[in-house]
Amino acid sequence: MKPVVLMVGADKGGVGKTTVSRTVLDYLRAKNTPVRAFDAEHPRGTLQRFHPDITEVVDVTTAADQMKMIDTLSTSEIKVSLIDIRAGLLAETLDTLTEVGFFDLVNEGEFNFGLMHVVGSSVASLDEIAEVLPFMKGQHYFIVKNFINDTSFFEWNPAIYKNYFKGTNTAVEVTIPKLNEMAYEQVELAGVPFTDYIANKHTNGQPANNSLVLRGYVRTWLRHICDEYDRVGLLDRLTDRQAAAA
Amino acid sequence: MTVSAFSTVLPIDRQLLPDRQPLRDPDLSQSAVRPSPAAIVASLHARTGKTLLARVLADYFTLSGRPPLVFDTDVTEQTLRASFPYDTVVVDIGEIRDQMTLFDTLARRAPEARVVDVSHHAFRKFFKVMAESQFAAEARAHNVEPIIFYITDRNPDAYEEARLLRQRFDDCALVLVDNAFLGRVKEQTRRAAGYQALQEHDLRMALPRLDPGLADALDDPSLSLSAIVSQPLSRSETGQRVPGDLPFEERAALRAFLMTVFRDVHRLTREIETRAPALSSAEAAL
Repeated sequence: MKPVVLMVGADKGGVGKTTVSRTVLDYLRAKNTPVRAFDAEHPRGTLQRFHPDITEVVDVTTAADQMKMIDTLSTSEIKVSLIDIRAGLLAETLDTLTEVGFFDLVNEGEFNFGLMHVVGSSVASLDEIAEVLPFMKGQHYFIVKNFINDTSFFEWNPAIYKNYFKGTNTAVEVTIPKLNEMAYEQVELAGVPFTDYIANKHTNGQPANNSLVLRGYVRTWLRHICDEYDRVGLLDRLTDRQAAAA
Repeated sequence: MTVSAFSTVLPIDRQLLPDRQPLRDPDLSQSAVRPSPAAIVASLHARTGKTLLARVLADYFTLSGRPPLVFDTDVTEQTLRASFPYDTVVVDIGEIRDQMTLFDTLARRAPEARVVDVSHHAFRKFFKVMAESQFAAEARAHNVEPIIFYITDRNPDAYEEARLLRQRFDDCALVLVDNAFLGRVKEQTRRAAGYQALQEHDLRMALPRLDPGLADALDDPSLSLSAIVSQPLSRSETGQRVPGDLPFEERAALRAFLMTVFRDVHRLTREIETRAPALSSAEAAL
């Protein structure tokens, strides 16, 4: 299997980017696919709080950390690397990756690359997509509409939307359903992966005391998301298992 | 109903006293302590006798030595709460906080029995949350035995719903309750697939027909059913106020009604308890 880089990013903060990363990590775990994660929210690291065993906090603007991520791709035992890009740094990171020749290697078939672009409901997000699109020619581009905090994409006019994607068939739309506030809040407080919350476990693997009802809500929600990732063939696309089936 | 049935109340009492001996070995305690029943009373339609059955069950558990926690899901009427003002929690099934109060408490390891009156308004939501939270498995793991008491009525859709419940909650005992007060099942119902599918269902009980006058007496929520059963019927008993100020004949008839139901409930809970380990080992094998 070729090394895979899956980037999760958004230019706007507060669209639930880290939540999406967390669902992807849970999804890969369910698919028995080992993954390492880089949390670019340097120095805080929200993702690291939930998945400390596989996550490293990095500063993507420094050469040292770029090397840490990219130079290890072919040598690492773990073939899938997820990078949670800090809000506002998406375009810049893509620029940097171009500069260091990462995309050349991708185009030469050394690595697979995918981007999960978590978008907000405003028209500004469409501009953001336009900005990112040039980088995504021939790559796996997932546009993630996140309904977790009850966003309604009311500003999205279908005509404008279509216009943006004219001439490109690379974008795949992914929808993340809503999770009720109380369940979401309790998982935040627990600070564990969704799967562990559902299994009623603490960070240290000890039995927790999570609400039966809330675990039910999280289980149903995560199942819907995994079904959605299956539907768009997230893993298959990234691992060439379903080469250009779409 | 014969008089001999009245005398059975005391032995039932003793048999059902929970084992409160503390056990040192937690594994031992799991196998030795009888499971706490969680009775979920439901029916698809309104006015089928749900609240009466819930009340009878609560009184049965009280008399058998494990006074229950009672949940009333009818936020507007709160009829069951009127009978057990100090032991009833009223929950709004539409509220997540209340769902947590209800199911998290129901599934908790504790010696007391639990009774839930699922109002027909709460029906869909209740069973959706019950399924999604995988309540039955969790309850079992905590030595709580959930039992759905489903009152069928005369209509085909009530049986179809019962069939779906049995399918959806195959890890949970389902008791079909026939309320004689509702009259005979319609011919059309008998021909329906749901009714036919349940013909072989073995966990069944009946609420015997009650004289309309007695049904009125039962409408008084403060009338204690356990007092009717446990207090002497004899007129010669002096100084003690008779429950509900009912005449002797009415108390006798109510007592007969209650004893019939209590015996059915006793038989069913016993049977379900003895089945339970077989069920969970089958689950474990999956």
